[in-house]
Amino acid sequence: MAKRIYLDAGESTWTAMVSGGEVRLSPHDAVVHVSPAADGFEATSGPDVVRGAAAVHADEVWVQINGEVFVFRLAESARRPRTSARDHDALTPPMPATVVRIAVTPGQAVRTGDLLIALEAMKMELPVRAPRDAVVRAVHCSAGELVQPGHILLDLE
Amino acid sequence: MIRRVLIANRGEIARRVMRTCREMSITTVAIYSDADADALHVQDADTAERVGPAAATESYLRIPAVIDAARRSGADAVHPGYGFLSENADFAQACADAGLAFIGPPADVIRRMGSKTASRETVSAAGVPVVPGATPASQSAADISRAVRDTGLPVLLKAAAGGGGKGMRIVRHADEIDDAVAAATSEGVRAFGDGTLYVERLVERPRHIEVQIFGDAHGRVVHLFERDCSLQRRHQKVIEEAPAPHLAPGVRARLLDAAVQAARAVNYVNAGTVEFLLEGDGEDARFYFLEMNTRLQVEHPVTEAITGFDLVRAQILVASGEPLPFSQADIRVNGHAIEARVYAEDARRLLPQAGRILAYREPAGTGVRVDAGVAAGQHVTVHYDPLLAKVIAHAPSRREAIDRLAAALTGYNILGVRHNIAFLLALLERNEVRDGRSYTRFIEDHLDALAAPPNASVVHSAVAVGAFAAATAAGAEGSGAGSDDDASAQWDPWDRLGPMAW
Repeated sequence: MAKRIYLDAGESTWTAMVSGGEVRLSPHDAVVHVSPAADGFEATSGPDVVRGAAAVHADEVWVQINGEVFVFRLAESARRPRTSARDHDALTPPMPATVVRIAVTPGQAVRTGDLLIALEAMKMELPVRAPRDAVVRAVHCSAGELVQPGHILLDLE
Repeated sequence: MIRRVLIANRGEIARRVMRTCREMSITTVAIYSDADADALHVQDADTAERVGPAAATESYLRIPAVIDAARRSGADAVHPGYGFLSENADFAQACADAGLAFIGPPADVIRRMGSKTASRETVSAAGVPVVPGATPASQSAADISRAVRDTGLPVLLKAAAGGGGKGMRIVRHADEIDDAVAAATSEGVRAFGDGTLYVERLVERPRHIEVQIFGDAHGRVVHLFERDCSLQRRHQKVIEEAPAPHLAPGVRARLLDAAVQAARAVNYVNAGTVEFLLEGDGEDARFYFLEMNTRLQVEHPVTEAITGFDLVRAQILVASGEPLPFSQADIRVNGHAIEARVYAEDARRLLPQAGRILAYREPAGTGVRVDAGVAAGQHVTVHYDPLLAKVIAHAPSRREAIDRLAAALTGYNILGVRHNIAFLLALLERNEVRDGRSYTRFIEDHLDALAAPPNASVVHSAVAVGAFAAATAAGAEGSGAGSDDDASAQWDPWDRLGPMAW
């Protein structure tokens, strides 16, 4: 019996119909044959045969093929591609990080590429820069604070 | 003789030092922070001592805590590994004061070679060529700017107390000076507690060649040939090999001799590395002293592979006061070795990643060595260096060694945290790398090609494998496969744009 799996890859969601070793994907109408192999899976897509490994953890699906890492989220249904995160000014850290310095104050005008906030994680500086010309509306973090992904660091208008 | 060694480090290097200790029937003591209570290096050790909370500055870098741990555990020696306190002269001195054998050079040698200024003066006096540069006596922005202009653009600004690429900035144009000085100073203060800057002429298109040297307390100094570590990214080494390809015999002889002279100039004892920049080709190539690392290097396994000697064993013997277990005549090059550093990082954006390892399989095979700090179930945290493992391949020829390394990396599965294995494989496929024609900016110059997204066929296969695995996991449809503990795997919100955006 075919099983329908929705894999959220960020901007859009793949729908995969899995019946036995045959996996049909939409969009793209691709057909891939998958079979268990030593320490993973073998996938045949047209003329290409690759070895891969996978791990499912809660709603995350991790896949590695030729060293490349893919991360999907199991979804309940297919959905429309969402608007790109780039259109949105929610400036949030890419990983847990420490706020080293806040370079701007509310009301300040900034230009594209200006440093807004300097973050540090794993001994590396991670600058958060203005994605466009804007005015800083509010700052939602303080120097020395440990911030997590999803934490909105500041608002631009 | 040393009987019990405290390893003042974590991750793969702590485990690697413990392996040799076990072979020598020496017991081992691990130290750990609260973030590492279940780490593999703790499991590997005979005993373990907590040294503080997760932040390195409050644990692995806290000298009194580490010395206390050594006292409590009855250790008679300390191996610092690399990073952390390995090049901290105060730590070496604190060990000596506590009656612990420090497995590395004496504190005064670390202090002298740890300062870029003092080390340059020392080796320059011994006749070793150095790159033009200066540490301005006054560190005001104006004086540093003047030093930059005096040295001549382009220049490299470096934290005088630094290493490992931290606190470094390239300045090509005069209008970049102020920003670069501010950034390098603040990074130096945060990373090393010292914002003093060193200004150095940037040597264009250089190769990074370094020489492994070893001294003992009986006045003998030898070299164990050179390594080429030209493949770097933001001054962090990515791939290292030995011997260096296309090094003209005359240049190699002078380079090895210069390294030994540099070591002799400071009465060097234990393992050390003299780093050089090499500019030009053939017998006309010129080399300049870059710095000396007074510790075991991350990339020491390639030297072990081609010489057959265990450098950690030699370190322990020398720290016990014994003579070096090899003479210069004993040290020969056998074949070629190449190492790749596997980092927990998003290789496209060069962002370190955190997460929990869900599945893990190490490659094996003839001539393949894996020095890893992780396994399934282990957490990779944001607190420390993102190095997960090193994969080293050794073969009769350079070409075979590269092939072996590529095959090993292809078969290395690490799921649950993003890593750079695909990026490493892309590097190993480049003709310039295959031909041994890389230089220190090679990765930066070819980043777009090296970090190209996978093609549609690979993406389709990945989606299909993921769907197949999800369909078979737990038999349940949709989510909810796991009652597993906290889902801590890192999701990079910026990354959602990744695989689908080709």
